[in-house]
Amino acid sequence: MIFEGYESFRASGFQPKVIVIGSGPAGTTIARKVAQAGIPVAIFEAGGEEYSEESQDVYKGKTVGDPYFDLDVTRLRYFGGSSNHWAGWCRVMDALDFEPKAWVPHSGWPIRRSDIEPYLDEVHDILDLVPFRDDIAISDDIRWVQLIKSPAVRFGEKFRDEIAASKTIALVLNTYVTELQGDGTQLTGARIWSQGKDQGIATAEYYVSCTGGLENSRLLLWSNEKSNGGVVPHAAALGRYWMEHPQFEGGNVIMNSATQFEMDEVSEAFFSPSREAMEREQILNFGIRFIQMPYHGAKWLVAELACVAPETAEWLSEELGARLRCAAQLYVGWEQSPRADNFVALSATERDALGIPRVELHWQKGELERRTLLEGLRLFGKTLAERDYGRLRIADWVLNGDPYPTDQELAGHHHMGGTRMGNDPATSVVDRNCRVHGMRNLYVGGSSVFATSGQCNPTTTIVALAARLGDHLARQVSQSAMLGKS
Amino acid sequence: MAPELNLLPARPASRRAFLQVILALPALAMFQSGTVSAPKSKADGIIEVNGWILKRSDLT
Repeated sequence: MIFEGYESFRASGFQPKVIVIGSGPAGTTIARKVAQAGIPVAIFEAGGEEYSEESQDVYKGKTVGDPYFDLDVTRLRYFGGSSNHWAGWCRVMDALDFEPKAWVPHSGWPIRRSDIEPYLDEVHDILDLVPFRDDIAISDDIRWVQLIKSPAVRFGEKFRDEIAASKTIALVLNTYVTELQGDGTQLTGARIWSQGKDQGIATAEYYVSCTGGLENSRLLLWSNEKSNGGVVPHAAALGRYWMEHPQFEGGNVIMNSATQFEMDEVSEAFFSPSREAMEREQILNFGIRFIQMPYHGAKWLVAELACVAPETAEWLSEELGARLRCAAQLYVGWEQSPRADNFVALSATERDALGIPRVELHWQKGELERRTLLEGLRLFGKTLAERDYGRLRIADWVLNGDPYPTDQELAGHHHMGGTRMGNDPATSVVDRNCRVHGMRNLYVGGSSVFATSGQCNPTTTIVALAARLGDHLARQVSQSAMLGKS
Repeated sequence: MAPELNLLPARPASRRAFLQVILALPALAMFQSGTVSAPKSKADGIIEVNGWILKRSDLT
């Protein structure tokens, strides 16, 4: 069922056992899993079926620290959420991303990759993926990894008809959950704004906040403030340990052979470090995007020589005693360490149309990130040279420790952390099942629960975690029903 | 050294290709240039020169 607003939903008499807030990849996946178990679930989506400036305005905010995207550009607030502008790049976080690392403070999840692997078949169906191949070690230090460029499922488009026909899922559009209410042990309701007015309190047995990697923190921070700690009773880590994937051009390569690595359809391949190399160099995970054939400037000339005029290049190479063929450009996207001083806060001065404080994001890259970029390029260059795959040149700004360029990609639009998963309430917000510490019936879905960021695009892992949470919720509701009957 | 007859590609080389060769010479010559300054050893046989990660034999 799909309702255009809260009033028609209320008039329908539909009684959800679970309320999911947000209809992006996490919210839609969780709702579908719960509904597949025959449990009635409502999705409250703040936006409509299509983009609107009025809805998007709520996402405006301010960033303090490193240059970053406008906060109302880096995410979308309507049915399907940010899947509506997702590029479709897929990879599941590595097993090593879940493990604690002595050289990375606050690293390690309370779960392992094996906890989400049982859900990967479902994830492949949801995201229309072909099977991943295993990583290929090209040296002790470097793995040739696969990143699938999928058709980029728009969750609103793909699942609209299924949800419309469902008797157990009620998608309620234009319904803004402005505040959660709780007593410090459980959530008691969600305050609703829809169709231009306050609609009162919606209730269910369980609640899941899936409003995005910035908005989950905002909703919980504001709700906790309004309820004097009744929504997140252990709030030391709430909003904190926020992470992105910095992305910059780090150098270029002259290759021995244009066919050394199998490139994808846009002449790209991806490389990451081994765990042993990360530990030895004391660095974070990273992904090198190897783009064959740069297209401008001096690099273009070299590429043209080696790739377009290979015979001439071969002669020249022989003359010089070198064997050089083809050029490539290197973009690096890498892990950011979880730090309490990167955080989402409520603005003290800026509010949305309903008077709720806007997001103020405090974010900057640290020394460990800087070192990961430089040493990661050195590791990759060493492998290329040792194996005679080619020769790498590190960009001057990286080598010289100059400031990060401001005219490049900056980051991946990947909003992670803020309600991170962990066993210790002092440094985390949700437990291994995505349940808010100390709260019986409040859960969080999406990349805000990431304890560390890994190096890869987060959507595949988000959907896997959501499928797992949906499964958990279905069991919880069933157990509650059985206990109620006994 | 390659025989003189093999200096040119099988296809007729364009003026643009020759221009490219000339323009790219400085970059490629780096591998044999004598302008090496303070090589930084990162591993056996691997050195870092002005940001290039090279084999030591590239410079001999």
